[in-house]
Amino acid sequence: MKTTDELISQLASELEPVKPVKDTSARSLVWLGLSTVFALLAIHWYGPIRPGALQQLLTHPRFMLEILFGGATIAVLALAGFRSAIPAASAPRLAFVGLVMLALWLASYLVGIVSPALEPSMLGKREHCVFETFLYGLPPAVLGIVVCLRLYPLNPGVMALRIGLAAGLIPALYMQIACMYDPVHALTLHMLPGILLGLGCAGLVWLLQRRQRN
Amino acid sequence: MRRSTQLVGASQFIMPHIANDLYQSDEARWSALMSSAQSGNESDYRLLLSELSAVIIRYLHSRIGEHDFIEDCVQESLIALHKARHTYDPARRFRPWMFAIVKHKAIDMLRHDRGRKDLVETGQTPLDTVAEPLDDDASGQLMGGLAPDDRQAITLTKIIGLSNAEAAGQLSISESAMKVRVHRAIHRLKRLMEADVA
Repeated sequence: MKTTDELISQLASELEPVKPVKDTSARSLVWLGLSTVFALLAIHWYGPIRPGALQQLLTHPRFMLEILFGGATIAVLALAGFRSAIPAASAPRLAFVGLVMLALWLASYLVGIVSPALEPSMLGKREHCVFETFLYGLPPAVLGIVVCLRLYPLNPGVMALRIGLAAGLIPALYMQIACMYDPVHALTLHMLPGILLGLGCAGLVWLLQRRQRN
Repeated sequence: MRRSTQLVGASQFIMPHIANDLYQSDEARWSALMSSAQSGNESDYRLLLSELSAVIIRYLHSRIGEHDFIEDCVQESLIALHKARHTYDPARRFRPWMFAIVKHKAIDMLRHDRGRKDLVETGQTPLDTVAEPLDDDASGQLMGGLAPDDRQAITLTKIIGLSNAEAAGQLSISESAMKVRVHRAIHRLKRLMEADVA
């Protein structure tokens, strides 16, 4: 076994210049922007969005509020995810706020079952929205997790959960505009795959980390 | 240079403003040394790691106690700091960044490694060791803050190095109860360590 002095000599002799990571907020915003553009392009490429959906945003304030609140939730989760890749920059409170916002967002659809923001309708239904949500969230999730793993997340599973949730919820959010509007449909076929993507990412990273350790 | 870090602990009871000045000067120096290391300055990096290793040893001894695995823990911490050096932003404070890594490594080692205290040399049995009188200096402030059952569980499995089954036999409890106790003890130690201001 090396002594600590020998280890220090070895680490010093192996030293290479590195570029310090300055701003995780900017990094998370860039990732958020790229992921959103990717999800929008993919959804529009696969099929047309619900007719009149953009007008509904302007004419139905509660629908607009649902979308804006969902966007804010995703941004908070993404920021918390990227911050958790830097030691001591992790913001448990921010992540907690993100999870509370997610719970409120989900609750708004539960309330919508009784009192929907829009009249539920089959108009604009996409046959494979559940798979689309999952698939369009996957590449951004992988990108975000790979970027964060190159930093130094002290808890990679937690980081992957936050990034995976943010990535999965981006297409889930846009599906409210692109696919039919019905709170039950939104909860089960849009939001659920987005959340499962986050949980799946966390589980996979946790398993990989455990395997690496063994 | 290293002297100032050693003086902080003693002087804080006498002249708080001097301790604070020393604390700030260490903070500024380490930040500057790490900044220099990030641009590839080997001698500054060597100096920084030497100073930090002394600080980490002192920190772990005072919090967890003087155990054989602390040396490994210091080395693992230095390797982790080396790997994570690009994540230090010179605009931020150095200590929280460093101690986040050190605390994480200490808990990680307790969770996944088994200790190896040589009881033959001391002529003790495992139960003698856990029954030793515990003052904060000997056992560490954070270990001392654990409930006796939790402290026994960590000492037997992680410091002495018994398996869960052997430790369970020593305490006359079931192996599964021992596993739960160890898991709970490490979780509590982790919480104490996270809340601890280094």
